[in-house]
This record gives sequence, structure tokens and C-alpha cells, in this order.
Amino acid sequence: MKFTLLTDAPEPELAFEVIYHQLEKLARRERGRLVALLVGKLGPARLEMAEDVVQDAIIAAMAAWPYKGMPDNPAAWLNRVARNKAYDRLRKEGREKPWLDEIGDHAADDISPDNSDATHGQLFGARIKDPELKLIFLCCQPEIAQEDQLMLTLKVVSGFTAKDIGALFLKKEAAVGQRLARAKRKLRALGASAGGKSITDGPSRFELKERLPTVLKVIYLMFSLGYAPRRGEALILRDVAEEALRLAVSVADANETASPSASALAALLSFQASRFDARVGTDGALVLLRDQNRVLWDKDLISRGFAYLKAAQAGAKLSRYHLEAAIASSHAAAPDFAATNWQQLLGVYAQLEAMTGSPVVAVNACVAEAFAGAPEAAFLKLEALAKHDQLHAYAPYHIARGELLRMLKRPADAAKSFKKALECDASAPVVAHLKERLTASV
Amino acid sequence: MLLLNHAPDRYSDLSEDDYMAIISDYIAWTEKLTAEGVYTGGEKLADGPGRVLTKTDGGVEVHDSPMAELAEVLGGVMMIKAVDYDAAVAIAKTCPHMVHNSSLEIREIHAVD
Repeated sequence: MKFTLLTDAPEPELAFEVIYHQLEKLARRERGRLVALLVGKLGPARLEMAEDVVQDAIIAAMAAWPYKGMPDNPAAWLNRVARNKAYDRLRKEGREKPWLDEIGDHAADDISPDNSDATHGQLFGARIKDPELKLIFLCCQPEIAQEDQLMLTLKVVSGFTAKDIGALFLKKEAAVGQRLARAKRKLRALGASAGGKSITDGPSRFELKERLPTVLKVIYLMFSLGYAPRRGEALILRDVAEEALRLAVSVADANETASPSASALAALLSFQASRFDARVGTDGALVLLRDQNRVLWDKDLISRGFAYLKAAQAGAKLSRYHLEAAIASSHAAAPDFAATNWQQLLGVYAQLEAMTGSPVVAVNACVAEAFAGAPEAAFLKLEALAKHDQLHAYAPYHIARGELLRMLKRPADAAKSFKKALECDASAPVVAHLKERLTASV
Repeated sequence: MLLLNHAPDRYSDLSEDDYMAIISDYIAWTEKLTAEGVYTGGEKLADGPGRVLTKTDGGVEVHDSPMAELAEVLGGVMMIKAVDYDAAVAIAKTCPHMVHNSSLEIREIHAVD
């Protein structure tokens, strides 16, 4: 029960902060890792049991630690308690024997996050060594609806609660619970139909390759959720976005899952995340790219972005992440807004539009074209996009239209667009920004 | 020894964040006093009724503890070192239990050496 930091910091507020932060980290980050470790031992069919016993262990910790103090290795404590609870449950089912046979009696070992991977890999010759990566691939199976994959990953891998997820998707907590339960049932069914596999097999090399695009897509969506939430008080949900970045990096770094598109995604997310400190102004206000203080851009993340971008060029195939990363890298490389290489950007946008046929990409391309010096042509292209129904509820489309009209010195029409933007879902700082634009247009 | 009383279900309506904040308060206090050598141990009592054994003419009767009727039940015990009751009271007053819960009782452990 040593806690030397506290004797150095007698202020009660600081001690409280330290502990609160630790508990939060345990309840969120470690939770996912613990569930992953247990699923590695219990098998994918026992995902719910793994979650339950980890939750029980966390509850037990909250009850006991005020009286016992914080253990020296809280994560190991949780892991041990969770495993014992799992063992108890299996024993009630009469199922503990195969588990013991395969693993041997590990009641004594103190699993720290570092040595557990080595043990696990040796015992099972698992194809993916990292239990957490295995878990991500488990959750992101193409047979499950994409939004369910994302919710499952947020819950099971990243430790968000059903309530958090409900807030992200504007759904009730109970509805999220139902979606998650349905997704897990599907997982169990998929696992059962795979048949004959040992309880701890992860995806085969073929399955890995097949599922990687799905995994990358889910991580990309998770980042978008955090980078541009369409509701709430915060401009950026940093914990969600940074979690997605962490996952992208995990996938890109692991031998079994490394690939040019994974590196490209890691590059893209690194570049986008590098701007977070500059993007959020005082009082959480929105700061446009052109107004951002680039000194605040995280240079470490930017250089990591370029490193991943280089690794991404190893393959012959180009993914949309490559192109989006290239666009982000152009901004990252520019010392200020005026120095941005817009022509280069336009070239990449053209490729991205051709590859995806996405109207959202087209909207962004129009904005780039306007900044490149051709706002009239850009506006005409933007107007042509009006035929896409899905853009009409998309705030950025109306915002882009408003901005271009401002550039074309048509403030009255610009105001109309900004008003339309206000009718769409947007976070509070975006709404405040739009209102400012409206008062400025009058 | 500090005997910590609480109302049953005292945390059930709290948000996770609020609950974690309360627990953090307690842990910070425990850790600080442990580092100072004042806090020497504690046990949380499990929720749910215990058992009461009563001697009767026929033998021993066993019943569940009457928790449901009580406004407060014993939640746990903590051991601290203090020279006398006044000192113990001074320490106990700083316990987060007095902020987040209702009451505690201090009883001196009868030391024989």
C-alpha cells in the first residue's frame, strides 16, 4: 500500500485528483484490456461473461479499496479478481476443467500487461499475439451491422458505457443495450458456426486480411465521432478520438495486422489529432484552420504522421486513407494558411473524389478549390451537389455554401445558408460560430 | 477502531462519476494516513444481512440480521492509531465518511501491552 506521491503532495486536492484519474483510467482503459485478456483465455463465446466479471471486479475494487487502500498493482489486482470470478462461474457450470487443462493452474501468477502477451502467445501459438487486437477483430466482423460493430468496439474494447454510447449516437441507453446484446448474440452464433476451433483461436491469416478493412473503417468512424461530434457541448471529444488513434496505431504497429492502409489510417489520425490544441479556443470555441495558432500543433504527432505516411507508401495499392492522409499532411507541412499548397491539395482531392464518389468529399474539394483561388467555379460545383439529398441535413454542406457566398460578397445569401446549417445537428461551439457569422452578415 | 455506519443503498442513485469521486476521496484519505503510519488496516463488510444467533431454551436460534428495518447499518471498520480519544476524534473528523455518509463510532481497542 505504498503511495509515495501522497507524502510529497500533502494537498488533499492533488491527492484526490491523482486517485480519481487512476480510477477513471482503470474503469475505462484497463477495462478493455482486462476483457481482452479474459476473452483470450475464455474464448470469444464467453465475451459477456468476461465483461460481467471485469465489471464485478471493478465494483469490488470500489467497495474494498477505501478500506484496504490502493493495491500496488491495481490492474493486476483487477485481473486476478476477475479471473477468479470467471473460474467460479465456470465451476458452477461444471466447465472449468477444459480451461484448467489448457492453461494450467495460474492462480498464483500476477499478470502484468507486459508478460501476459508472451505467455499467451507461447501457449496457443495464437495468430494475433495482442489480446486486445484479437478482441477488436472479433468485434469488427462484416456479418454484423457496421454501427453495431462500432458500438461493440466502443463498449468492449474501449470501455465506454452504454450511456456514453447512447449520448454519442443520440440513442437511449436501453436501446444501446439491446443493440449490443443483439450484436453479441450474433458473435456467439458466428463462433458456434465456426465449429471445431479451440476456444482461443483468433482469426486466421486469411480472415485477418478479410476483416482488416472493416476494422479500419470502424476505427475511422470512431475518430470521426470524436473529431466532429454532431451534438453536445464539446467541439471535440478527445477521449473518443484519442482512443481511435490508439487503436489505429496498435493495428498499424502489430506484425500480424500491419499493412499500408493501416499505416495510412494511423498517419491520417495522427495528423488530425495534432491540431486539437489549436482547434479549440478559449471557452471551448471553434477556431477555423486559417485562424489556428500552428505553434500549438503537436509536432510529435505530426512527425509520427509522416513516419506512418512513409510506411504506407510501401505497398502498390492506394486506399482512401492514403489520400486523406496526404491531404492532412499538406496542411501539416504548411507553416501558415497562406503557404498551403492548394494546387497539390486539389490534385489529391480529385483522386479522392474519383475513388469514393462521395458528395461529402466533393464538398470539401469545393472548399479547397475556393481557397486555391477559384471561388466562383467552386461555388458552381457546390450548387451541382444540391441534388444529393443526404447533404441537406449535413451542417458542413450549408456552412461551406455560406462561406463560399461570403467569399463571393453575397452576405444575404450566405446568411440563408448559415441559417440552414443551424437547423442541422451541430455541437454547441459550431452553433455559436454560426450565430456569430449571422450577426456579422447583417 | 472506527465503525462506519451508512444508510443502505446510499449510492444507488449516484452517477458513475459522482460515485468514483466519493471513492477517490476515501482512498486518498486512507492512503495519506497509511503513509503517515496512522492508518493500519480496515475491512469492508459485505452488503446484505448477516446472521444473528440467539441463545434460547431449546438451543440456538439463527436469524438474518434485521437490516431492512434499520436506517443505518455497519458498513465497515477502519483501524487507526491515536494517543487518546480526543486525538482519534480529530482524525475521524477528517474522514470522508463524515462528508459522504452519516455517522461513525470510535471504540478503543483494548491494548494489553
